[in-house]
Amino acid sequence: MIQLTPQLTTLLSTLTNPMVALSDPAAADPHAAATTAHAVGEVGHGPAWVLLIPFLPLLGFVLNAIYAAIGNKSKLPAWTTVGLLAVAFATTLSMFLSYDGSPYTVHAFDWIQVHFGDKSMIADFSFYVDKLTILWMLFVTGLATLIALYASEYMSNDIGTGYCRFFSAFGLFVFSMSCLVMGDNLLMLYLGWEGVGLCSYLLIGYFYKKPSAVAAAKKAFIVNRIGDLGLALGIYLTFVHFGTLEFAELFSNEKLMGYVADASVGNFSAIPGQAQWIALLLMIGAFGKSAQFPLYVWLPDAMEGPTPVSALIHAATMVTAGVYLIARMYPVFLVSEFALPTVAWIGTITAVLAATIGMAQFDIKRIMAYSTVSQLGYMFAGLGLLTTTGAAFHVLTHAFFKALLFLACGAVMHGFAGQLDLRKLSGVAWMKGWGIVGVTMLIGCMNLAGLPYITSGFYSKDMIIAEAFVTPGYSIIGWLLIVTAILTAYYTFRVYFRVFVGPQHAEPGNEHHDHDDHAHGEEHNHDAGQHGDHHSSGFHPHAPGWAVNVVLAVLAFASIAAISLAYIDKAEHHGWVGSMVHDSTAYFHSPYVEQAHHAAEGTAHAVDGPVGFKAPKAVFGMDAHTAMILITGIGGIFGVLVAAFFHGPKGWQGLFIGGRTEAAKCRMDAVARRFGPIPKMAENKWYVDEIYHAILVAPLRVFSHVLHWLDKLLVDGLVNLFGFLPRLFAWVIRPSQSGVLQGYAVNMAGGVVILLVVVIVVVLRAGGAA
Amino acid sequence: MSMEVIQLGLLMDLPILAALLIAFVGKPKNAYKIALITSLITVLPMLGLLASFDWSHGDQYQFAWSLSWLPDLGLNLSIGVDSVAMLLIALSVLLGPIVVLASKRAIIENRKMYYAWLMVLQAAMVGVFASRDLLLFYIFFEFTLLPMFILIRVFGSTNRVAASMKFFLYTFTGSMMTLAGMVYVVYFVSTQTGVWTLDIATLTHHAGAMSLTEQTWVLAALLAGFAVKVPLFPFHTWLPLAHTEAPTAGSVILAGVLLKLGTYGIYRFAIPLAPNAFYEYAPAIAVLAIIGIIYAGLICWVQTDIKKLVAYSSVSHLGFCVLGLAALNVSGFSGSILYMLSHGLSTGGLFLMIGFMYERYHTRDMRQVAGLASKMPVWATFMVFFAMASVGLPGLNGFPSEVLCLISAFQSDAAWSAAGEPGAWGSTLGPWFAVFAGTGMVIAAMYLLYMVGKICFGPLVEPKDHGHHGDPIPKDLTAREITSLVPLTAGCLFFGLQPTILLDAIEKPVNATVNLVEHSVESMNASNEQTDFNIIAEGANP
Amino acid sequence: MIDSALVLAQQSFPAPLGDSMLAHYLFVSAAMFVIGLVGFVTRKNMIIMFLCTELMFQGAGLALIAFGRHHLGADGQTFVIFVLCVAAAEAAMALALVVLLFRHRETLSAEAWKELNG
Repeated sequence: MIQLTPQLTTLLSTLTNPMVALSDPAAADPHAAATTAHAVGEVGHGPAWVLLIPFLPLLGFVLNAIYAAIGNKSKLPAWTTVGLLAVAFATTLSMFLSYDGSPYTVHAFDWIQVHFGDKSMIADFSFYVDKLTILWMLFVTGLATLIALYASEYMSNDIGTGYCRFFSAFGLFVFSMSCLVMGDNLLMLYLGWEGVGLCSYLLIGYFYKKPSAVAAAKKAFIVNRIGDLGLALGIYLTFVHFGTLEFAELFSNEKLMGYVADASVGNFSAIPGQAQWIALLLMIGAFGKSAQFPLYVWLPDAMEGPTPVSALIHAATMVTAGVYLIARMYPVFLVSEFALPTVAWIGTITAVLAATIGMAQFDIKRIMAYSTVSQLGYMFAGLGLLTTTGAAFHVLTHAFFKALLFLACGAVMHGFAGQLDLRKLSGVAWMKGWGIVGVTMLIGCMNLAGLPYITSGFYSKDMIIAEAFVTPGYSIIGWLLIVTAILTAYYTFRVYFRVFVGPQHAEPGNEHHDHDDHAHGEEHNHDAGQHGDHHSSGFHPHAPGWAVNVVLAVLAFASIAAISLAYIDKAEHHGWVGSMVHDSTAYFHSPYVEQAHHAAEGTAHAVDGPVGFKAPKAVFGMDAHTAMILITGIGGIFGVLVAAFFHGPKGWQGLFIGGRTEAAKCRMDAVARRFGPIPKMAENKWYVDEIYHAILVAPLRVFSHVLHWLDKLLVDGLVNLFGFLPRLFAWVIRPSQSGVLQGYAVNMAGGVVILLVVVIVVVLRAGGAA
Repeated sequence: MSMEVIQLGLLMDLPILAALLIAFVGKPKNAYKIALITSLITVLPMLGLLASFDWSHGDQYQFAWSLSWLPDLGLNLSIGVDSVAMLLIALSVLLGPIVVLASKRAIIENRKMYYAWLMVLQAAMVGVFASRDLLLFYIFFEFTLLPMFILIRVFGSTNRVAASMKFFLYTFTGSMMTLAGMVYVVYFVSTQTGVWTLDIATLTHHAGAMSLTEQTWVLAALLAGFAVKVPLFPFHTWLPLAHTEAPTAGSVILAGVLLKLGTYGIYRFAIPLAPNAFYEYAPAIAVLAIIGIIYAGLICWVQTDIKKLVAYSSVSHLGFCVLGLAALNVSGFSGSILYMLSHGLSTGGLFLMIGFMYERYHTRDMRQVAGLASKMPVWATFMVFFAMASVGLPGLNGFPSEVLCLISAFQSDAAWSAAGEPGAWGSTLGPWFAVFAGTGMVIAAMYLLYMVGKICFGPLVEPKDHGHHGDPIPKDLTAREITSLVPLTAGCLFFGLQPTILLDAIEKPVNATVNLVEHSVESMNASNEQTDFNIIAEGANP
Repeated sequence: MIDSALVLAQQSFPAPLGDSMLAHYLFVSAAMFVIGLVGFVTRKNMIIMFLCTELMFQGAGLALIAFGRHHLGADGQTFVIFVLCVAAAEAAMALALVVLLFRHRETLSAEAWKELNG
């Protein structure tokens, strides 16, 4: 799997602080190293072919735009995109294989440079490659290739301008995501960050004639922008405080190193408030992009986009950008007293909240959307609990199985004319041509539910939950996450038991004729025989073709195969992902933490080294991991059984405990009634959207109207008043101009007389005074 | 007179010649051709100037030339450019062919008058930036008003009379006070040096010696004209009206260059002529700028007239520009000048798009026209592009300047920008300024996406009676229209991806201005400390 | 040049105008002016009004000449020559205008042209 060069192997095995030693092999005394050395080492220049990774997708964007301009009406855009992305993925692989352990940058061109005397602000169009970058880029380009392949079939109803537009935005997205992940400075990260936001906007609003899609796209962009404001301010403050935007310089910054040393002994009062604010601001950006409470509301609505988009952008890659940001800037987060605890708590709250909403939804794509929000909550909890490894591992496994789930749901949606209501579908897996979808969906569901040992989702989730129990003061987070895991297993298998097994039943959705091209009349390219006459006779589902099946199979395989990653380098770094993270800034540790870590290594291995480290607690008298395997394993199975009991069909398909005999009704209906209004409230997302609208959007709108009138009446009114004053004066004296010449003459004579009198009086007075 | 000076002169003379030709010789049907050819030819000497400009000495006036005009007044015809002025001239000249191209179908009657005045405006804009003489600057500054007034008054839409009057009177009233302030500075400098001079460089050099009270009055007088021009809240109300009523070309020039005369005036005159007063009142000015950003942005959000929306967005955007100036540091000035150069591209682009739509549907009301993406995909693509540029998407023109302006707000607080970090020297603004100004980013996304969502996306809505106004309506943008958009698009990308070229070009003058302010503030502080010390010595101040 | 003219004037009128003589001149001038003014204000006939303005002119001119003689300066006389020129030109123009106006309204009353607001 991973070809470690001899030097790297020695490095990894001997390092206490990887970055310190990279630069300075003589840094035997970690204390000295922490305060003096360049933590990231001398960052060299990498090979120029690395530039292919971002620029090939960009080429795809350009080519597809040209196809659109010349009116291409074939699948050429899809094949162009798949081809270019495959090359990009291959390039990423070779970047991974040729990586020799020391980070490097690749310079494309100068971007923003401002010079202040002898100092300067430099943000170039350059790319920074370390293991964290490689980890992210591997699954970004890999999944993008697969999903583009899937989309080539999925979007085929829109062949023509829409098809070009889709793949154009797709290419731009991968480019932006590459900039986000690979950028060598914070402004490049921000460029990618906003770029993926733009692509997300364009792709959610792909069906631009549908008002709900346009509204969802707008909401996504604006809610993200709120987060982006935090991110932007955090970036500016980083520059103002540390004097650099470049990762290589930032992570070797002496100030930052000093802060980390202070933080590692809990001496936060020695760290200036400005530095602590940075992490809190960046965190807001991460919450926006990764759909965390209170900024998660855009993600479920984003399901208005075509399903491949939901799978790639809103499940696998873009939404993990927040996790990446925190992992990348981990040293900055470590020096902030409240940032990481906040991240942990927000993640947990989001996980629980989204899971409760997910339980009550009927739209299968929305259920998946809420599960994404919930799983992202796990990742944030992991980051907050100082297990970047766990978070990154969960990002990776989640990317595979959630993409798989979305694509399987998308296949259903595509085949049943946009039908997504789980009450109107049943036994899909048994229909002709749907076998692969059924099996792969089951694998995806098992991963999301975290069934022990046989799924990769289990390993990554377990790593985070275990961390909660060994970190002092956070066991309540652990319990909440366990409860969430049970809920997750329940709602995941609720979908499976309702839609994929049981008696066969399908009501088509309302997008029969113009499926996926709601109003693209001229682009409409449907096979009339396939979808025709749905009103009169039977509806014929549209079984997935080879591209969809292949992609689903590959992803299903990948989400199982990812288990092996947990066993590579297990002893040393808790798995392959651990080794990747360990060799990056996400694993930036002060020597104090390392020493503590090493001292404790013998007792437990689940500890990455929390700030203010204490000896790990035993949970139920066991090692934390063993305990978690038991608890979450049992919890997951329990959730599946509950789902089977309430939603499963009669017979073996419902594990012999289900009792459903038709699509629309199940045992849960009766139970739900007993809870009174609560299920309805959960189905309505706890009215969070409505609350936001009532307390934020509507008042702001009213305020804007008030301002508008104020502008018209008061501000402009004052100006008009000034303009009116001369006119008023004129109005007063206008009657004096009567047009009677004699009147003028009298006035003039009178004026002369008055003048004379005044002059005489003045002269007399002057004479008198003299 | 060197070759370059002749080229600089040509930038002003060619349009004037063309204006005379159009007005007195040409036929109405040739007016468009003459204007287009002239504006294209004018680009050549401009390119020549860009090539021969010595960018490494950008802070010095180059291509300088002087001719005594009214010696009794000290007025010289004295021209020359530093790098900031050079770039602004390049922008003005480049906008010329674009607006002429965009006018072809919009202006059908009175073509001679229209193109002649457009050419005059072109010359006047170059003149403003090329002046090295205070009075000459002022003459050109005011002279831009007349052609613009006529463009709005004669060629505007329904409410054009009120709009043109308000535009003219408002800006003219303000700039009368500016003239008073300028005259006082000239008088003051003459008492200092014994020479009555209008040379900007000399005036700048000596004006800092004014007392704080004098500087405050001078600043108030100068800002009276420039703040109206920018426009800074609450002096903005003429702009939405003028923008809405002006013909497309007028709006583009107004947004692209004429508004920048205000910020350019602040940068070139208000700050150097009254540095201490500006330092003193920078927070207040920044507060006005930030109120403008938020206030105008929110007003945009509830507009139904699409052109008014874009007009208010200019008020909001220019707030960033003033914020950068108020920060009084290198990043702020750089960002602000970059904003002056780049803002006109995206906003001008939006005005062109709206103009093209208006030519087809004869309405600007978003309740009557919507969902045009299905009818005019190319138009919608450009619309989304310019909207995103206006939102400040990285990689496009608004972003680098917005970043620098916001960073400058942080940097100008000595406590936050720790000593030794770049850009730190004094305290005018602080993080809260950046936070509040930053909300402008969110608000910009709100109103621009609201606009795009309405006008481009959603179900198609078209006014019932469109198409009965003469010529048949082409479906999408024509080749001519696309040609006029391509340079703006390219400009947006260039400014977004290669701002370094421009930042390097303006580095010297910006640093010089910052040093000037820093020096004045420090010397005044030093003398104040001296006074404080005396007071302490006298025991008056425990 | 002017000096020599002045000397010439002094030779031919060796004594400047005395104070009492000046007062007589000024009295006549003021009387002419006031008669003109009163006439202008009270009469409606445009020709009479015009004659009254001429009377005022001449009153002012007389005062100028008187002062000029009193101070032995040539300025007053110069002014009067200008005034006479203007008055002559004015007479030509004004009478022509009055004729035109008369043709429009068939009356010489100034009231008839009130709406001009002149």
